[in-house]
This record gives sequence, C-alpha cells and structure tokens, in this order.
Amino acid sequence: MEADKDNANPTILNPSDLPSRRRSAPTAKRVGIFEALAPANISPADPLAPPVASDSTLSDDEREEIDEQEVYDLISTISDPEHPLSLGSLGVVTLDDIAIIPPASPRSRISSVRVLITPTTSACSLTTVIGLGVKVRLLNALPPRFRVDVRIKEGTSRTADEVNKQLGDKERVAAAMENRSLVNVVNNMLATCA
Amino acid sequence: MSDVQLYLLEVDKHKAEASKIASQSASRLETKQLKLIDLVTSLEPYINNRDDASLRAKSVAYLAEVLSHIAHKVLSLQERRLLVDFILGRLEGDHEGLGASARALISLEALGNWDTDTAQKVMRTFIDYTSPLRQFKLQTERYAVAQLIDLLLAKYRTVIRQLHDDDHEFLPAFISYFEGEKDPRNLMIIFSMLQVPMAEWDVRAHAQDLFESVFNYFPITFKPPPDDPYGISAQDLKDRLRDCIAANSDFAPYAFPQLLDKLDSTSINTKRDVLQAIQECVVGYEVQTINLYSVTLWDALKFEILNVQEEDLAQEALRALSLIAAKFAQTSEGPLNAFLRPIIKECNEHLEDAPTKQSEAASRILHAISITAPIIADTVIQGAFPLLFKMYHGTESITKRRGLLEAANQVIGAYSKLDKVEFGMNVEALAAFSETAVAAMVRALVAAPKHEVSFRLSALTGLAQLISVQKALPSSQIELAVTTVTDIIIHEHIEGHGNIRPQAIKTLVDMAHAVPQVLQERAIPAFMVELPDVPDDLSRSEHVLEAFAQLATEKQLFHTTILRLKGKLEAARRQDAPATYQRSLLLALLYGFTFGEPIPARADCYRPYAIPLVDEFVRCHLARRDPAMCEIVGRICNSILRPQGVHFQSGVYHKDLSWMSQETATQTSVENLRSITPYLLFYYAALRVEVVEAEDIVALLQKTSAAALDAGVGTNGHGMTLRLLSLLVNKFVNPKTMQVTLEAAKLDVDALLTKDCSVNAIGVGCAIVKGLLLQGKSAALTTKYLQALLDQLTAGNREVAMRFTTLLAPDDVLTKENHCLISNLYKQKVFTQAVPFITNSVRNPDAQKKSNYLVALSGILRWLPYSIMEPSLPILLPPLLQTLDLDTSADQEVKASGLTIFESMLMHDPSVVAEHTASLVTRLLNCTTAEAGNHANVRAKALQCLALIPRQLKREAVVPYRRQVVKRLLACLDDAKRIVRAEAVKCRTAWLALDEGTDDAD
Repeated sequence: MEADKDNANPTILNPSDLPSRRRSAPTAKRVGIFEALAPANISPADPLAPPVASDSTLSDDEREEIDEQEVYDLISTISDPEHPLSLGSLGVVTLDDIAIIPPASPRSRISSVRVLITPTTSACSLTTVIGLGVKVRLLNALPPRFRVDVRIKEGTSRTADEVNKQLGDKERVAAAMENRSLVNVVNNMLATCA
Repeated sequence: MSDVQLYLLEVDKHKAEASKIASQSASRLETKQLKLIDLVTSLEPYINNRDDASLRAKSVAYLAEVLSHIAHKVLSLQERRLLVDFILGRLEGDHEGLGASARALISLEALGNWDTDTAQKVMRTFIDYTSPLRQFKLQTERYAVAQLIDLLLAKYRTVIRQLHDDDHEFLPAFISYFEGEKDPRNLMIIFSMLQVPMAEWDVRAHAQDLFESVFNYFPITFKPPPDDPYGISAQDLKDRLRDCIAANSDFAPYAFPQLLDKLDSTSINTKRDVLQAIQECVVGYEVQTINLYSVTLWDALKFEILNVQEEDLAQEALRALSLIAAKFAQTSEGPLNAFLRPIIKECNEHLEDAPTKQSEAASRILHAISITAPIIADTVIQGAFPLLFKMYHGTESITKRRGLLEAANQVIGAYSKLDKVEFGMNVEALAAFSETAVAAMVRALVAAPKHEVSFRLSALTGLAQLISVQKALPSSQIELAVTTVTDIIIHEHIEGHGNIRPQAIKTLVDMAHAVPQVLQERAIPAFMVELPDVPDDLSRSEHVLEAFAQLATEKQLFHTTILRLKGKLEAARRQDAPATYQRSLLLALLYGFTFGEPIPARADCYRPYAIPLVDEFVRCHLARRDPAMCEIVGRICNSILRPQGVHFQSGVYHKDLSWMSQETATQTSVENLRSITPYLLFYYAALRVEVVEAEDIVALLQKTSAAALDAGVGTNGHGMTLRLLSLLVNKFVNPKTMQVTLEAAKLDVDALLTKDCSVNAIGVGCAIVKGLLLQGKSAALTTKYLQALLDQLTAGNREVAMRFTTLLAPDDVLTKENHCLISNLYKQKVFTQAVPFITNSVRNPDAQKKSNYLVALSGILRWLPYSIMEPSLPILLPPLLQTLDLDTSADQEVKASGLTIFESMLMHDPSVVAEHTASLVTRLLNCTTAEAGNHANVRAKALQCLALIPRQLKREAVVPYRRQVVKRLLACLDDAKRIVRAEAVKCRTAWLALDEGTDDAD
C-alpha cells in the first residue's frame, strides 16, 4: 500500500542515542533532587536581599559560540518528506557530518557551515528536496556571517554530483523556492522544527 | 358546532388552541358528556371526504390527539378494540393521516395491552399496506410509524417473532419496509429496533438482506446541522450501526469481506470506523465464526500497524488483534494456535532486521496479543524468544541487539502487567528464558560501551520488568540484577552523554518494590560502604546519598533507610564532618520524610528522629547553630508534626514551650532570635491554631518585629523573620482582636509608618498586610493598612516600590496544609484597591516617581492570575508598555514580568493589543538587543512575545512591520546566548511565514 516510497522500512535511531546539548556540555550544573526541598536562595519575603548568582546560561558575561551541536539541533528536527520521522532519527543528518569552518583570514568575518547529508537509500529520489530543506532552514536560522554549504555525503547517493551542483547554485536554489509546490513540500518538512 | 369542526377550524392557525379542543373532547368523554360513538360519527363527513385529502388527514389527527389526552379506564376493552380496527381498516384503503394513525395506535396501546391477534394485526397492516415507508414524504409521519413498530418489537417480542416463524415471507417484507430511510432521527430508531430480529430471530435465510439493509449506511458521513435541536451526532448513529453489524454471527460472511474492502479506503475516518466495527464484530460474533476469519483479519490489520499511517489507526488495529486473541484464549487451543502461528512467524521475520520501523511495529504486535491472557503470552514467548535470543547472540551489532532487546522487553512487559491482575500466574515459559535474558541484560550493562545509551537503558528496563514478575527469576538471578544496578549507581560517574544513573536509580526503586528483602541484604549495605563518616570526595558522596535517599520512597525500605541516614548523621556530627555534608545528610532525611512515609505512621517518628535533631542543631550554643541547618530541621519537624492531631501537638508544644521562650525572651540578643527563626517558622507552621497560647504569640510578635526593624536591609535571615511575622499574624491572631493585638505588639501599620518610613518599616508593614490579606477577615483594617503602604509610594524611594512584590508573592509556608487561613479573594482584593490607585498616579510627570509606580505595579501584577487582570486590560496596557521602556539594569525583573503579561495577552486577548501594535513591536524589538542592557531572559521573552504577533493578530495589521522585524531579527540570530538565538530562530520563522500565500517578493 505504501510501496511507492523509495524506502518503506528505514532503520530508526533511538532518541536517547541522538546527540544533544545536555550530553555534549557536561559542565552545565546539575540540579540535585535535594535542592528543590529547601530552596536555599529564594526568599520571597525579601526582594532586597543580595542577588543570588543566577543560572550560568543567563549571565551575560560569556558568549556561547554557535557550534556543530547547535546546527544539528536546527536541522535534526526537520521531517523526512516520506516518513513522519525526523532527519535526526533516520540518521540523514549526523553530528559528525557537520563542520563549522572559522574565517580563513583574521580580517574576514565570514565562517562556513558544511553539512553532509546521508540519504536513507542510495537511490532516494527525494535527496534534492531534503537538501533544499536543510539549506533553507540554515539560511533562515543562521546569522548572515555564515556561508551555508549543504552537500550529499560522498558515496551515499547515485545522483550526488547532480544534487550537489543544484544545491551549490544560488540561482537554482532561489528558483526552486519560487516553485509553489516545492515550497509547500519544504514548508511541511520544516513545520516540525520547534 | 361539534368539537371536530372547531378543531378543523383551528388546527392550521393555532396549534395550541386545537390541542385544547381535543383535550376538552377527551375530558367530556371521561365525564360521559360525550359518547365515543357520537365522536366517531361526528368525524364521518371529514374522515371520509373523498375530495379533500388533507381534511381526512386532519380528522385522523384530531382522533389521535383526543386519544393522547384520554385517561386510563375511560374506554372499555371493547371500545379500544373497535378503535384499533377502525384505524387499521382505514389504512388499508387510505394512507392519509398515517402518522396520526400510528400516534393514535400508540396512545391506544398505552391505555391497555394488546392481545396477540391485535399486535400481529397492527404489524401486518403496516407492513402489508404502507410499504415502503419512504413513499411518505413527511419525516414526522415516518417517525411515528417507526416509533409504533419499535414499540411492538420491544413489548410484544414473542408475538411478533411468531409472525416471522409462521411466515417466511414476513422478514423480507419487514426488511424492505424501511429501505431508503435517510433521516437521522428515524434511523436512530430503526437501527435500534432492527437489533431485535438480528439478535433474537432465526434469520439465517435472510442474513444477507438484513445485513445489507443496515450496511448500506456504512460509513456514516452524516454531519449534524449547526444548532441541531435534536442533538443527534454522527457518533450516535455510528454506535448504533456498529451494534447492528455485530449483532449476529450469520452476518460474518458479508460483513468481514466488505469491511476489509473498505479498510483500503483513502479516508482516515472510514478506516477508523471500519476498525471499530471489526472490534465490535470480534466481540459480538461467536468464536467459531471468528475462527473462520482470524487469519484473513490478521493479514489485513497488520498493514495498519506495520506501515503506520496514523497512530490512532495503528492502535485500533492492535486493539482488534488483542480482542481476537482474547476471544480464543477463553476457549479451545486449536483456533488460538491457528491465529497465533502466522503472527509469530511474521513478527519473527520482521525482527530479523531490527531495529527498523517494522521491527518496532512487530514488537508492538507481540505486546498487544501477549497482554490479553497468560496462555497467549506463553505461546508468544515459546514462539518468539528462541529465535530472538539466537539472533541476539548471533550478531555483534549493538544497534541490532538493542532492537531485539526492545522487542523482548515488550513481551516481558506484558507479563509484568498480567502478573499484577492474574493472581498466581504460571510463569514457567518465561522462567525458562530468564537466565538467558538476565545474562544478556547484565552483560549489556556491564560490558557494552557506555555511550550506547539506548542499549543500556533497554537492559535496565528489561531487568526491572523481569524482577517485577513474581517467581520468574530464581534468587541468584535477582541478586545478580540488583547488584549490577547498584554498582552502576555507585560506581559509574559519567557526565553528559552516557550517564544512565537517573534511570538506574529509578530501576532500583522499582526493584525495591518487588524484592525489598534483596535490597536490604545487597543494595543497602553496598550504599553504606560508600558513605563515609567524613567524606574525602564530597560531590561523590552526595551523588551516592541522593540515590540512597530515594530508596526511602519504597514503603518497605523506609524505616531502614532513615535509620541508616540518622546513624550516619550522628557519626558525621561526632567527627566534625564538613557542614555541607551534614547538610546533605539532613536533606536526605527530609527527602525521606517528605516522599517516603505514609502520614498516619509519622507520629512514631517524632521522638526518635525530630527531637534528637532539634537538640543537636537548634538547642545548641549560638556559635554552633547554623540557620540553614535550623531550616531543614524545621522542615523535618514540620513534615512529621503537621498532620498530627491537637492532642499530640499539644504535648509537643508544652514540652518545647520552656526552652523556646527562653531562646526568644527579650533579654536574649536579636542575633540569637534571628539564627533560630528558620526553625521557628516551620515549627509554628506545623502547629494547629488551638494548640498555641495567645500570650506567647504577642510576645513572639514583639520580639520578631523588633528583630525585623533592627536588621539592616538584605541581611541574612531578614526574609525568614518577615515570613514568620506574616505567618503569626495570619494564623494565630484572632481576627476579632486583631487591631488590639497588633497595637499591643507595636505593629499597628499606621503608627509604624508615621513614626518611621524606612525600608525596614515598609518591609514589616508589607509582612503584616500580607498576613491580613491572606486571612481575609479584617477587611476594614486591611484596606486602611494597604492604603498607608500605597501612600508611601509617592514619598518613598525605589526600595519601597520593590517591596510591593512581596504582598502577593507565593510562600510555601502560608498554605492550608500548614493550617493557615487562606482567603480565596485576597489577590482580587489587592487588585481592586491597589491597581486603580497606581494606574491613576502613574501619570505623574516626575520620572523617578513614575518609575516607582511602574515597579510597584509590576510587582503586584506578576503574581496575579491573568483572569483577574483581563477585564482591566485597556487601563493596564499603557503603563505596561511604559515598563518596557525602563532601562536600568535593576529593572530587568520588572521588564520580564511585563513581557510575561504581554505574552498572555497575545495568547488570550489579541484584540486588546491590536491597536497598540506599532508601539508594542517597536518596544519588543528594543528589548531584544543586548547593547541596551537587556538580560538574556528578557531578550528571550521579548522574542517569544514578538513571535506571537504574526500568529495572533490580523495579517493585514502585521504585514507592514514584516520587513523591519525580519531585518532587525538578523542581529538576534547572532546573540551571545544560545537560548536567545533559539527564540530568535522561532520568531523569525513566524514572521517569514507571513510571506506565504502572497506573491510580493520581499
């Protein structure tokens, strides 16, 4: 009944094996179960008490750079166009295949993000659409000082060269996003991004 | 004029009047002023009028109406029989007034039961002379007939059935009689009445016709009109239709093929109806019948699960499979095995390439059928586990092993659930695999790489489930499992990815419930070894302690756990262990008392636990007393003492009175009182009002207020002192003598503020007013005091304004559980008094004063439920917009709470915000920049609000800002903080989406 799908029975990764910020940043302070019992620092009766050191994520002194995990979080929640599953859980995008390349010279501000996509089968006809979705998501979500480079991982798709050429061509991406039906497909994929 | 003439005159114009005439006729019949024969004769010219059909119908209606008003025993049996014959006789030749005839017959039946002949004759006449019913265009007419036939089937079952038994032509006529009915009201009755022949008659010869007559309506696509006065929903019709389809096993040869055919429909609703109908059939049909179709059903249902289209369809399909399995489980093995064999075979095939979408579905199927009965679970285990574990051992791939383990867990989980409902279940089949399973799971936990999180978590789940099945594991296996999990908790210290301790702790607590004895012997000693009296590595010991304390939540281990903790605390204290360690041990005890002990047993804990702790930590020399420890001891006492009755508390209180009054006596220093205040706060919170003496309270109030007024602002423990004041006022001061008592304790707020308007005095004033507000008894006094506080806003400084937030701030001590008086309206009260005053004064041109008012306003608003503010939003909006302009770093809190209110407003009342769109968008954008000194949480909140605007406001009102917002948000995408960037992405997506559906290239 669903035989028209290129891959009707894909392998699924368990959510607890997917990379997440909590895992990669073990320095974040753990809140113990005891702290909630006797909140030591909150005194509702005295708003003038010396301010308590607030959560480290909210203090403004240090900058949290955009890293691979952050890029992963932006694109892993995109839905696959054929399955109601996320690109992360299908292994289409993985943390290892995301690279952030710092500016080439100290005078330049332009960094690049390179994302390699692994289609679920080598004959997947929707690879271009997936690539387009990832590209659009990143163009909208990353600051303009990043150059976005989305390509198919080598040796994973028969049409890799063709697709890479399309994704790398600004004009062709812009033209694709003029196509109403293609825009709708991409919007549906991106609808699950929280 | 005769009654019928009058009736005919009125009936078209005044229904009510006509009805009155009929009822008058009825009463005249009763009083014998009118004879029945005369009444019938008077009808004659109209009821037989050849030229005017409507006149005939109306005169029958008159007769029906008279009969409906007639009381019992007015008409003799003879007369009733005559009337029935008269009406039926008419119908044979004339269909006019069909509905009225039916109504008249219903009335006559109500006046006295019919004999066999009459009942049969009524039925026959309708079926023979008025078929098909659809020829009558008026729904009301058909409705009356349906009601009459429903009545016959309900009350004269055997008599009507006799008709069918005697004449095999009757049923086809009966079936075709209702053909083509479309009105939902009539269908509701027809579906219901058809169930009588379906369920009770021998319908084999006409099963197909009977089935088709109802299945023609499947699937129901009826949509009730808006404001439908009859209130019939599509669901009502679906339910009745489903009951019909499932009413008779003889329908199976027609039902299943057609249902399965419709399962291929593209409409989700149709598929849902089909699946529910199949479930109903499985329940309704006989076992032998289901047996014929079980494999066919499996072949069709599996697609819905293996290729999930909609999750709820998969669940319905799973439910259908469970119902089939359950049906066979009650009876013979043959059909059951015939059903299970292909299922297990196919599931095994899917498991071979685990973990895939379909292997996951296969394990769901195994779970769904196993859970229906122990015998099925056994069959599934015997059929699936040998191959499953063979594959498990045959592969090196951890991903595959994880998939297989998850499948095994689904089946074991079914056992675990069955074990809770089936008492003394035979678990031999599972026990046969227990050793293999435990070995595999323990190995997964011990030997697998730590980053294989899902694999190890599956192993944990599996062990917990195996242990929860009684008698499935021999004691050696149980011990192995418990030790393995305990080891992980104690010895694994992985930060970030790979940390499975929280789940391991939860598993151990689950195990504690099933096998407390093993934990007593194995786990608890292991934990104690890891908890030294004086720790070298504090954070490590705290980790262990946290895990250990959670064992107290299992009732059977509670006493052991807290006893060990107490012993450890004493040892640590003796050897002068670091204060943080002692504090953690105290917190562990508090955790145990808060989550572990059932309330009635707590009284026994007071003497052995609470009293020694108080002696050790509270009644010690000032130098050794730590307010933080006092607080925890206070909380422990509170949790034990609070639920106890007056008698028990009274005993405790009178024993404590002497040392406590010494500690709080006037000659002791303020320092002393302040250090003990955290304990006093929770101790007094636990006591019931009637336990405490009024004089003690006055003395304590005096002393506490002195301490509060004396303290420097923001000193340690100042907050505790103020909380104690609020508590004492709220709980122990009698509302009738409130003013007198407060004056005696020198706490009259008016007097206090005229003497001294320092920040401390305002703090004490707020604490008193808070106690009063919550109590809600002394309205006049509260109003007066609150006004006195508000007056200070004009004169005072910023700190005064900041105090206002304490009035409504929630306090976990001031609760009903702590026997406080909590009025339901106190928030409303503050709002109605303070907010108009402040919104009027905020127009003050002095910038400093203006900002004071804004700070106070937001301090009050941030604690108010949105529903209280809602009616006043138009007044609140301007000052709230101004709070977003405040720009000192001290105002961040104020801004954040203002933004929260805007968020609620955008969610619930976007129309109120609409006219301020321009100023709101500008201000929100200003709040998103870090350069302006906005904190990260303010920036993030502002972005959340901004994201709501395009979703909640009208498109045309928002589009003009799109270009500006999208451009300014580019900067937020590069914010220094990750949470702000995440919000910026969401916000920008929401604004970019505005473009969709239009062609303007922007």
